Amino acid sequence: MTGLLVKNAYVIDPLSGVNGEIMDIAVRDGKIVEEVGNGAVVIDAGGCLTLPGGIDSHSHVCGTKVNFGRYMSPEDMRAGRTSRKGVMHVTSGYSVPTTFGNSYRYSSMGYTTVLEGAMAPLEARHTHEEMRSTPILDMGAYMVLGNNWFVMRYLKDGDIEKAAAYVAWMMRTHKTYGIKCGNPAGVENWGWGENVSSLDQANIHFEVTPTEIIKNLTEINEHLGFPMPLHLHANNLGHPGCWEITRESLKIPSNVKGKPNVDVEWAETKMNAKRHESVYLTHCQFNAFGGTSWRDFESGVKGITDYVNGKDHVVMYSGCVPFGDATVMTGDGPAIHDLYVLTGNKWSNTDVECECGSGVLPFTYLKSNPVHSVQWAMGLEVLLYVKDPWKSIMTTDSPNGGPFTKYPLIMAWLMSLKARQDTMAECHKWSQDRSGLGGEEREMSLYDLAILTRANPARTIGMAYRKGTLGVGADGDVAIYNIDPKKLDVNDYESLIRNLQNSEYTIKDGEVVARQGEIVAIPEKRTYYSDIKVPDADEKHMLEDVKEWFRYYTLGFSNYPTPERYLANPTPMTVNPLR
Amino acid sequence: MRFVLNTGRTIRQGSYVERKNVPAYREEAASLHMNGVDMLDLEIEEGSHVKVKSDQGAVVMIARPADGLVRGEVFVCLGPYANFLVNPETHGTGMPDFKTTVVTIEPTIDPVPTVRELMEQCGGVGYEG
Amino acid sequence: MKVEDVVCPFCGCLCDDLVVEVENNRVISVENGCTLANEKFMGDHRLKNPIRRERGSWKDVSYDAAIQETAEILLDADRPLLYGWSGTHGEAQSVGVHLAELLGAVIDNTSTVCHGPSILAIQEVGHPGCTLGQVKNRADVIVYWGANPIDAHPRHMSRYTTYADGFFVKDFRERKVIVIDVRKTESSAVANEFVKVDRGGDYAVLSALRAIVRGKGDLIPVKVAGVTREQLFRVADTCMNAKFGAIFFGLGLTMSPGKNKNIRNAIELTEELNRHTKFTISPMRGHWNVYGSNEVFTWISGYPYAVDFARGIAFYNPGETTSVDILRRGECDACLVVASDPGAHFPRACAEHLARIPTVQIDPHVNATTHLATLQIPVAVTGIDAEGTAYRMDGVPIRTRKLFEGTYPSDLEILGKIYARVKEAKGS
Repeated sequence: MTGLLVKNAYVIDPLSGVNGEIMDIAVRDGKIVEEVGNGAVVIDAGGCLTLPGGIDSHSHVCGTKVNFGRYMSPEDMRAGRTSRKGVMHVTSGYSVPTTFGNSYRYSSMGYTTVLEGAMAPLEARHTHEEMRSTPILDMGAYMVLGNNWFVMRYLKDGDIEKAAAYVAWMMRTHKTYGIKCGNPAGVENWGWGENVSSLDQANIHFEVTPTEIIKNLTEINEHLGFPMPLHLHANNLGHPGCWEITRESLKIPSNVKGKPNVDVEWAETKMNAKRHESVYLTHCQFNAFGGTSWRDFESGVKGITDYVNGKDHVVMYSGCVPFGDATVMTGDGPAIHDLYVLTGNKWSNTDVECECGSGVLPFTYLKSNPVHSVQWAMGLEVLLYVKDPWKSIMTTDSPNGGPFTKYPLIMAWLMSLKARQDTMAECHKWSQDRSGLGGEEREMSLYDLAILTRANPARTIGMAYRKGTLGVGADGDVAIYNIDPKKLDVNDYESLIRNLQNSEYTIKDGEVVARQGEIVAIPEKRTYYSDIKVPDADEKHMLEDVKEWFRYYTLGFSNYPTPERYLANPTPMTVNPLR
Repeated sequence: MRFVLNTGRTIRQGSYVERKNVPAYREEAASLHMNGVDMLDLEIEEGSHVKVKSDQGAVVMIARPADGLVRGEVFVCLGPYANFLVNPETHGTGMPDFKTTVVTIEPTIDPVPTVRELMEQCGGVGYEG
Repeated sequence: MKVEDVVCPFCGCLCDDLVVEVENNRVISVENGCTLANEKFMGDHRLKNPIRRERGSWKDVSYDAAIQETAEILLDADRPLLYGWSGTHGEAQSVGVHLAELLGAVIDNTSTVCHGPSILAIQEVGHPGCTLGQVKNRADVIVYWGANPIDAHPRHMSRYTTYADGFFVKDFRERKVIVIDVRKTESSAVANEFVKVDRGGDYAVLSALRAIVRGKGDLIPVKVAGVTREQLFRVADTCMNAKFGAIFFGLGLTMSPGKNKNIRNAIELTEELNRHTKFTISPMRGHWNVYGSNEVFTWISGYPYAVDFARGIAFYNPGETTSVDILRRGECDACLVVASDPGAHFPRACAEHLARIPTVQIDPHVNATTHLATLQIPVAVTGIDAEGTAYRMDGVPIRTRKLFEGTYPSDLEILGKIYARVKEAKGS
């Protein structure tokens, strides 16, 4: 490869401690290097904002429930349609884009890595097929395990070693990256149309409590040395007052030390790029409802951010609501059913045998709606109230709060008090009365945003050895925006949004893939997964149990694993707890 | 006499999906299942040939009595014989009225066509391989 | 040579526990399969090589010539239709969608005459469903509505419902099976309760059940579409008292008057029942990979069937872009049929149009469509001498196996070559 040189870039790279230096970035053979020779392609960034490629550490882009969201909503498909153009295929989908739609829109926005937030093991193949059909973006997926029959059975028997062996084996078997624990114990109850409502409520038959599942999965996560912390979606999602159970859930892993144990070569970074947290909380906003009913509904965010501000073991992503059409989709089947009962919108549900569940429901967030207006405020509160940005990640839990294409709106609200005030004036007054956002004057800097969208997602999920930074040795993923930070006026937030929507250049592995909203190249992508070593004896005994119990599936054991051929450029990360 | 023609899958029809040109498939796909009393009325017995006519055309089938059918209803398995009679109107749904075709039935001595002959009547050229 | 855990590529059950014996590139025995599986695996009636119609007769032709001609036919056409897809693997279906996009063609699959109306209903009210193992493990009430599994999905009851050995429900005596149909069938014969509905009366019966579930039972007259008030109450009662109920429905609902509205009503009944207990609803998908074609079409184009690329975007409008309508209007001027048999399964007027236009069929076997086509290209049978991904009727993806290295190219190879030629000709 001839190499690429980006000159005169206004670089913000928190992992390297760079905050607004004009510098050159050199890429060769897909990696950031010290310098390149004369034959390199040169791009003059002209002093424009240059960041590492964005990383979305949690988005719903590939798999059974995502595809459900597409085909049950042709109106959503029609609203987001684009034509064939150049190398670009047609795309469809406003809140749930098709795989090509996801690829092009993330790339245009300057993102180069996306992690699928939830994957059912039995349907892993489907997730992988869609990831393979999503070009350009480097990807991986999290496996849903919080209501898994084998896990619950081992926990009930107190057999943590075998539970750990099972988790490790499952990651390798289905080529997944990390553990997702959603509404632990509750989704199994949903198999009977019920749920759980407190951390110490034992579920039906398996008799395990959410506390037991969270505690044990956290310990297993660290014992095995996963690159990322346990990814937790707390119980009681979407119910007024749920903020308390969320805070109590976060207390459970508070004494567990994050101990990632991954065999990789680290790019050069100034700060410690390894995560130390033991829990990564999903969509804080949806789990931070205050009040006791819809009538006295209010934000419960402060109860959580106060806790997180005083602790070191939590990272959380926001789950912001930018208003407009969305599609709610989650493994928390009963939560979606509750939304169906509330709204009467069309409702889909798939419970997956022996493993988990999911629900999908199209949803529109209206500025005129009192509760939605508070939710909008809450999503921003989550990020603004946390003092240390290294505890926060910005997303909309796309498409739950809204599609990822609206991230620039969120960024504008975070950076511009005026933007928040203008929107607050347009929405229902509960956004002021029932949240503290009206009194919050903090305006985040570009450096903060770079942490929230690049550095911290990479660090949290254990990918900072190659992503989220422009240090030497990292992947050559660069995003250049038509923004002159020296002259940036956050009051002109409309320009800010426009310029963050489509990068001037999105570069992946040193190749220009997007130019001002148009995709110009389709380089190969990679698919990451955790390859965890456990003692052979543990695995052998665990598999004996699994094979014996497998008859409760409707699929044979030998047809269960997902072979590597389903992955585009499979890139296993060796995780070695035995060291 | 006017009847309503219903169609559906049968296991025998399913077993011949890869051999639609053999006599056994024709036997199954051209079988018109009727209520026994209706057959008495038409003065036909098991195995009689009948000409079944709809607004789309006519096809010769083999009558057989069936237990589960009420008077006025007939059943043929999914296939080219039944489809010779089905109207392509889908009422904007994409799906024709496969289960409710109004037909008249009368006895006939005409032979039951082969699948190839049916397709030739549609304008095709039969393949004999 | 014995091969275990073989996946059967016939119906939507996608059973994966077959054991076959292979000798000299043929399957000579099948264990655990139903009649349909036996026929599928042991049948040996394949078309030997591509054939081409010239004036009034058929001639053998080479694969290369056939592929070239297919590409030319498609390139020449103003409005080609690419139909079928349900009998081949997902990797090939993918190429089909890309080919349709490149050509600006319409691509449609067999849902169009099967569960298309179910998809329309799901697009109106959603789909509260589950994977088959949930039913096997938990369901104490099973309802088959307008479906005859013993004939169309022979092992459904033994693998997934009535007779399945579940975790929570161990014995068929612990389950209650209700069959609802307009006629007696093999399935109704084994039911605990058979509800005979007057032809066209399903919608009314569904509404009556919904009324009872909602507590408006006094509205119910003495009989609704031939079903007595007493039986309606008994069925509603059974459902409401279930610990886990599962409704499976078939062509009896999708093809009868009301079509998608019948299914909508059934889904809404399921949603009502979910306010009382756990209930799910599932379509009995016919082909082993029709759901796969829906999935593949959707993740690429946004729509599950009847996708029209003529405008340079993906456009979906059942009734307009569906195959039966396009053919009966004489709107397409070329047709590529892959892994299906519209000659046998479409109304006659459609078959007539297929005979009029250049029609190319990619299929291992001589079928009804062969006689209407201008060209047929035989390929390997997925699950026997070709492998690839399929989606079961409940959305679970399973990989079909290649049992031996045969002499036929796969659908993926042939379509890949056609695609390459079309792409080259278009200069893109």
